[in-house]
Amino acid sequence: MKRIGIIGSGNVGTNTAFFIAENRTAHVTLVDCKEGVAGGKSLDLMEAGPVREYSTSIRGSHRLDEIAGSDIVIIAAGRVRKPGERREDLYRDNSANVRGIAAEIRRLAPKAVVINIVEPIDLITLLVQETLGIDRARVLGVGGLLSSTRIRYLVSQALGVSPREVTGLVIGPHHPSMVFLRDSIRVSGIPAATLLGEARLSELIEEARSAGDTILQLAQRSTSYYAPSAAAATLVDAIVRDTRALLPVSVRCEGEYGVRGIAIGVPAYVGAQGVVRILEIKLTEPERTAFERATAELHAAHKQIAAPAV
Amino acid sequence: MSTRDKVSIIGAGNVGATAAYYIAEKVIADIVMVDVEAGMTRAKALDFLHAGPMRGYDVPIVGTSDYAQIAGSNVVVITAGIPRKPGMDRMDLLKVNAEIVKQAARAITDYAPNAVVIVVSNPLDIMCHVALRATGLALRRVIGMAGILDATRFRYFVAEHLGCALASVHAMVLGGHGDQMVPMPRLTTVGGVPITDLMDAATVARLVDRTRKGGAEIVALLKTGSAYYAPAASVAEMVEAVITDRKHLAPCAAYLRGEYGIDDLFIGVPLVLGHNGVEKIVELELAEDERQQLLASAAAVRKGVEELNTFFRPT
Repeated sequence: MKRIGIIGSGNVGTNTAFFIAENRTAHVTLVDCKEGVAGGKSLDLMEAGPVREYSTSIRGSHRLDEIAGSDIVIIAAGRVRKPGERREDLYRDNSANVRGIAAEIRRLAPKAVVINIVEPIDLITLLVQETLGIDRARVLGVGGLLSSTRIRYLVSQALGVSPREVTGLVIGPHHPSMVFLRDSIRVSGIPAATLLGEARLSELIEEARSAGDTILQLAQRSTSYYAPSAAAATLVDAIVRDTRALLPVSVRCEGEYGVRGIAIGVPAYVGAQGVVRILEIKLTEPERTAFERATAELHAAHKQIAAPAV
Repeated sequence: MSTRDKVSIIGAGNVGATAAYYIAEKVIADIVMVDVEAGMTRAKALDFLHAGPMRGYDVPIVGTSDYAQIAGSNVVVITAGIPRKPGMDRMDLLKVNAEIVKQAARAITDYAPNAVVIVVSNPLDIMCHVALRATGLALRRVIGMAGILDATRFRYFVAEHLGCALASVHAMVLGGHGDQMVPMPRLTTVGGVPITDLMDAATVARLVDRTRKGGAEIVALLKTGSAYYAPAASVAEMVEAVITDRKHLAPCAAYLRGEYGIDDLFIGVPLVLGHNGVEKIVELELAEDERQQLLASAAAVRKGVEELNTFFRPT
């Protein structure tokens, strides 16, 4: 059975371990620099095992060395976004820590597929890929999948149908400038626009776009973590079982969708080696325009943070 | 009456028994299998129960030849019927199975008049008519299992061709459950991207054709017998949607009263499956060629219903 290392035992890291256990997918090692935290949470999860009927192991440690040889490493160590915060500022706080972690991953688990859940997703995902210096296909950021599951949920609620048959792809940065691909939002193949009307679908898309903020406002002190953890666990499942599921992920592009040198959300088949193939879908004119604008902004942000500090 | 949900399956052959197995694994309802062969049915129920400790299901499973045992069922599945035997013509088969389905339907009226009825016996669309007439149930409570099966085959063929995850593929198939079914490539997608954007027209046509002949491909391989895993899985999917009130939008055979320009006929259309059976029929806007194909398929079903009417006076 595969082994997963999760770095960071906050809400996202721990709930990712929880979903992986419930999926019976793999053994998990949860690491947190704060001594005792990962150990305590792992023990709590293991003690739930007899009643939840999972028998994979979840171990906790404060030593990063424990992830040695993992097949997948998930980076969930970083602080969360504050309301209205610019991604450049968040990047400044999270990047130093992540750079150090990535260097350790290169030493401890050089063959791992790496999943990043630290925000700002696209910029940190690129940082991880560059620091590791590995094939770009092996570094995936959780971004579009989270927005995708949110629009799927909202559409299912609006129509009073089960969410399982609802599809929906999102491309672009994990940022309010993300682009929802309207035609991909469907129920059992039937375009949601024909069932809901174009106007209602547009409202739901705007709701999904700001879903993260909505949760932040409701919960006050914490950002969302169930849906992000579920998205990470979905990627783990696709990798561990080599399913080649079509999922929106943040990955470094080298020409796909006309993007080069940065990580950004695109639909990709995900399997054992990470991104098996990026699927290039024909965009409508408005989608293309919105995507290019969002990409240009992300490039500018990248340029700014990459510039040496004055 | 018990507060536990209950599903009865009439006919404990391969489709019926395998459906019982899939439903047991979902742990959503008590299960009763009814079959004229009492010993065989009891044996299958017992065999399933013996596997329970390992498989983790703990629902009662009863095998019986006594229709009274279906009392209080939320869902009754009719799988009973005989396959065509050598030398038997289509009409002979129709008559034999119509008698069997009629008998099952009357038992439902007697013992489980509030059930949602899922018809599986073939020829499917025609047997739905027989069941509806014999039960006198509300129109929306009799549903035929066909579209989900045809769609799951289409989904498999697409995923196999593209080498992608089955879970990423969704498909839509309309029309009667036969050669004239209407697979809908533009509504068949990978993660919402139509397959018509992912493969050339010749490949789409090949997969559509294979879907149409999906049942026949299995029959040709087995020589004696027909598919039952995918049909049973489709039944379990529908049963789950009704029991859990999942509001599952999927193609199934439903009684139409003017939808799609078709009246007084069971045929496969997209609908929302929930606690009350057919909760809503979804009317798609069809292209002219799609509409023609659907009407041709409907005409074939209507011909079968009319043939049957010459032998059975409607009840």
